[in-house]
Amino acid sequence: MSEQVESLIRKDYAAGFHSAIESDTLPPGLNEDVIRHISAQKEEPQWMLDWRLKAFEAWKQMVEPTWAHVHYPKIDFQSISYYSSPKSMKNRPKSLDEVDPELLETYKKLGIPLHEQEALAGVAVDAVFDSVSVVTTFREKLKDAGVIFCPISEAIREYPELVQKYLGSVVPQKDNFYAALNSAVFSDGSFVYIPKGVRCPMELSTYFRINELNTGQFERTLIVADEGSYVSYLEGCTAPMRDENQLHAAVVELVALDDARIKYSTVQNWYPGDKDGKGGIYNFVTKRGIAHTNARISWTQVETGSAVTWKYPSCILKGDNSVGEFYSVALTNNFQQADTGTKMIHLGKNTSSTIIAKGISAGRSNSSYRGLVRINPGAEGARNFTQCDSLLIGDRCGAHTFPYIENRNSSAVIEHEATTSKVSDDQMFLCQQRGLDAEKAVSMIVNGFCREVFKELPMEFAVEAGKLLEVSLEGSVG
Amino acid sequence: MTQPVQPSDFQKRALTLAQQRSAPAFLQTVRQQGLDEFGQIQWPGRKTEMWKYTTLRPVEAFANAEWPADDVAADGEQLASLPELDATRLVFVDGLFDGAASDELPDGVRLFSQADEAARVVLDQYLGKIAKDIDPSRRNLFAALNDAWLTDGVLVYVPKNATLEKPLYVVHLSTAQAAERVANQRLLVVLEQGASADLIEHYLSADDASASFVNTLTEIHVGDNARLSHTRLNLEHEASSHVGAVHINLQRSAVANGFTLAEGGELKRLDYQINHCGEGAELNLNGLYLGRHQQHVDYHTTIEHRVPNCTSQEVFRGIVGDKAKAVFNGRIHIHQDAQKTLAELNNRNLLTSNTAEVDTKPELEIYADDVRCAHGATISQLDETALYYLQSRGIELPQARMMLSYGFINEVLETLPHEGIRTALQKRLRQRFVEEI
Amino acid sequence: MLQIKELVAEIDGKQILNGLNLTIGDGEVHAIMGPNGAGKSTLGNVLTGRDGYEVKSGEVLFNGKNLFDLEIEERAREGMFLAFQYPVEIPGVSNMEFLKASLDARRKHQGLEELSSFDFMKLARETSAKVSLDAAFLKRGVNEGFSGGEKKRNEILQMMLLEPQLCILDETDSGLDIDALQVVANGVNAMRDGKRSFIVVTHYQRLLDYIVPDHVHVLAGGKIVKSGDKELAKELEAKGYGWLEGEVA
Repeated sequence: MSEQVESLIRKDYAAGFHSAIESDTLPPGLNEDVIRHISAQKEEPQWMLDWRLKAFEAWKQMVEPTWAHVHYPKIDFQSISYYSSPKSMKNRPKSLDEVDPELLETYKKLGIPLHEQEALAGVAVDAVFDSVSVVTTFREKLKDAGVIFCPISEAIREYPELVQKYLGSVVPQKDNFYAALNSAVFSDGSFVYIPKGVRCPMELSTYFRINELNTGQFERTLIVADEGSYVSYLEGCTAPMRDENQLHAAVVELVALDDARIKYSTVQNWYPGDKDGKGGIYNFVTKRGIAHTNARISWTQVETGSAVTWKYPSCILKGDNSVGEFYSVALTNNFQQADTGTKMIHLGKNTSSTIIAKGISAGRSNSSYRGLVRINPGAEGARNFTQCDSLLIGDRCGAHTFPYIENRNSSAVIEHEATTSKVSDDQMFLCQQRGLDAEKAVSMIVNGFCREVFKELPMEFAVEAGKLLEVSLEGSVG
Repeated sequence: MTQPVQPSDFQKRALTLAQQRSAPAFLQTVRQQGLDEFGQIQWPGRKTEMWKYTTLRPVEAFANAEWPADDVAADGEQLASLPELDATRLVFVDGLFDGAASDELPDGVRLFSQADEAARVVLDQYLGKIAKDIDPSRRNLFAALNDAWLTDGVLVYVPKNATLEKPLYVVHLSTAQAAERVANQRLLVVLEQGASADLIEHYLSADDASASFVNTLTEIHVGDNARLSHTRLNLEHEASSHVGAVHINLQRSAVANGFTLAEGGELKRLDYQINHCGEGAELNLNGLYLGRHQQHVDYHTTIEHRVPNCTSQEVFRGIVGDKAKAVFNGRIHIHQDAQKTLAELNNRNLLTSNTAEVDTKPELEIYADDVRCAHGATISQLDETALYYLQSRGIELPQARMMLSYGFINEVLETLPHEGIRTALQKRLRQRFVEEI
Repeated sequence: MLQIKELVAEIDGKQILNGLNLTIGDGEVHAIMGPNGAGKSTLGNVLTGRDGYEVKSGEVLFNGKNLFDLEIEERAREGMFLAFQYPVEIPGVSNMEFLKASLDARRKHQGLEELSSFDFMKLARETSAKVSLDAAFLKRGVNEGFSGGEKKRNEILQMMLLEPQLCILDETDSGLDIDALQVVANGVNAMRDGKRSFIVVTHYQRLLDYIVPDHVHVLAGGKIVKSGDKELAKELEAKGYGWLEGEVA
């Protein structure tokens, strides 16, 4: 029966098409001139260029981390192009009517219509294509509420005081190898500011698309939720199917000021490579939020794509009573590798954190949970609960759990549990005896396994995530 | 990328010390390999995963160390303090055998230095090799040092279907009076098919002993259907540093029951590496650790499930207070062939002070799908409801705390098979908790 | 409805069914009794296609179709239902979702429209009331944390919803108290409509006081060794299975 489960995994990657869009792409290579060029393209002020160059200096001194449970050939950072923009974006279109129809078509094919009348009600979208933001929808409506939602390149020009205050405040330039690289060469991404006491009237969403060959994507997202505000943000990502590996090294910073709440959801579906492990995105991402007094940050992620994932969305629980949450589903198939988890750093009193991580491994893939829970001496009354569950489909994959728990406060209570299971023959038989085919049975069982995480996703995306899982599992049964 | 290794001062000194003592010629190969290997190992730092939470500074302090005097003997008072046991007692003082304090060696038990031809064959086959049966990236550098420092040791050989008649009780006493003294202790246990043995290792120090560094290595081969009971107590005083390892290979349907307890010291680092090499092997390992004052205690356990249908059960509990630090790392590795494995690990900690620290890392690495594996770790305080319950019966809070702390430990202590040791430990630990009130 | 001819089946190389013959007509209730290890559960598992059971020879026709040409789920969609002796837990998958998916699959096969969510919920609630299961159970994971009795009632709930043609009850009475037993029996009796057939596998006669069979068979040593009417069950209860040993040989 488990052979049946295994061979269920074999459907095409639906987002794997390439759009024929003319682009201006920098030749491969990384040096100071490249950084100056990117900065100039974005018409950045001097302080931004200086910030980038400082990051680049730091990066040159750093070495790639090797501690993750992933294996891939060494990346040649000089063979990557660090900037690519559709030609039509040279003069950024003022309205949707001026946007290259081919671009709009691309997003439509991905199920992200950018015309507001067609768009999902209640979701504003920033569409990032290779290194530039193509369009941001519902900006007027958001402006009425005082919410700023725009490409970060624009925010650097339009809201320099906000950007200067918070950029790098959660993930410093030198934080790690990939964060330093991103700080030097980041091209676009989203900026969000929610003013004091405002509940953002719509879901905000950024959709990242890599299109150009040999191009890295280095987006940078900064979300600032001022005191007492609330925002729910979702990112999605896809890329064409290619035999070459492509690098994606993003940085996301969240700032939740007193009493604010940020809910950040990711549905990551970068091209995972083919069934023989050829191609696919290297997804090396640094995501971190800081929660001030009574603030709350929730990370929810559904990771089904990428050849290699290296990602640990984290919370610094600085303020008293602040709350951090991490809900994760990581599914790997074929030769995919994921090393993902979270860090919960408890600094404030009565801070609490919850970690629910579900890993599903199929084919010859490896999925690891790596997490850190650290309770500092001042974090009186801190609480953590962690549950890591792994599901294995087939006997050639791996599922691993590496939790680090560090406690220096005697009033803290920390609980960690991890289990491993498989889709049992009995479960399969019950479902099939009730008339479900093997494929449906597996997807139902796997979805059930992930239920605690899916219920944290915004409604519209929970359904999407379930479907995505089904597609990613195809061929793992039969 | 590999840089030439710069041996630390301690490494250099350790190599010099190794040359100062001689050993029987048949141990020379193992010694030489140890010397070569230890000199080449990159000295661990904070970024070395195996030593992430445990600094080796206390060991580095032995960069000018000497061997202790070789004519010391245990005194009567020290011997009288040992628990009552119906066992064969072997006493080592500062790493050297104290014949006068020891019982006569029974059949099957030999000192390496008195090995006859048959014993040499066994040594040749197993000595140093069990500790090397490990993922090279996780090779224990102190096992290499133990090889390099090897001069003598205890060999237990139990032939097919035989039983070691009495438990073997190996006492190691640290007495050296001058500062910076090191000692080496080595055991090799080979249980052939269907054999069984009961081994107790007990490490302690004389009350007036100076700081010392003791490096111990125990290698155990448990053959098909053989049974091992192994108890290890690390009760040296808190000025001492001890780095020790127990490596066990379990063959088909072998059973190993282990118990270990450590009180913290300047540095206490204890590694258990258990390899399930034959189908149907079974491991039960229970452990306790206690830290107070500025003590440090670190347990690393690794279970390698290489073959199908085996089980492993581990329970470790610790209580840490004052400025002490406890580290626990419990790794379970299920290899691709190890289907139908059942592996569980439970680690619970009580942290009783804001200046103390517990770092725990239970790890699962799983490459087989039809297995049942789970681990759980908690760090918390005494149960408030239970405290309240005791108080409501008229017991004062400090007394209630003592009772619950002791109870937390005693649950595991009760699994100890030797009544004499259990009673002695219960008395000792109760006294310890009373002192802490 | 069902013709079993000279059925030989084994599990792990061990022969469990040794040339079993049984014919079940429309609307009939057949009780299969027998000592432990006689192959009672094997029969249900072989008929429904459970993995690990190998059919060595013989033939089974289900409504004229060769049963062994059909996959597990195809047999289910054709109307064969097994109430499990040990119902399986599926964590996280709600009973509701599971039932709807099953019913949708069955209806689609019958060329019927899927029920709307509203109609399905109504039906599911009504049916759960019939088996005395609180509607809250519909939202819980499939059998997740259910007591033994609740699991068995959940099996009957599924049977009532799916309206199969042939229901195989595999020791559904084991471990049930008298109240739960009555709920199960009432469920079965309510579904007897002169068309639907039942195979009631049981070790004890007790269940047959509530579900009165048309035929009673004794399965021993992998074949039917004696058949009769409901009086046979009473005789077995009184005498045990020992007296039939001669028949086995």
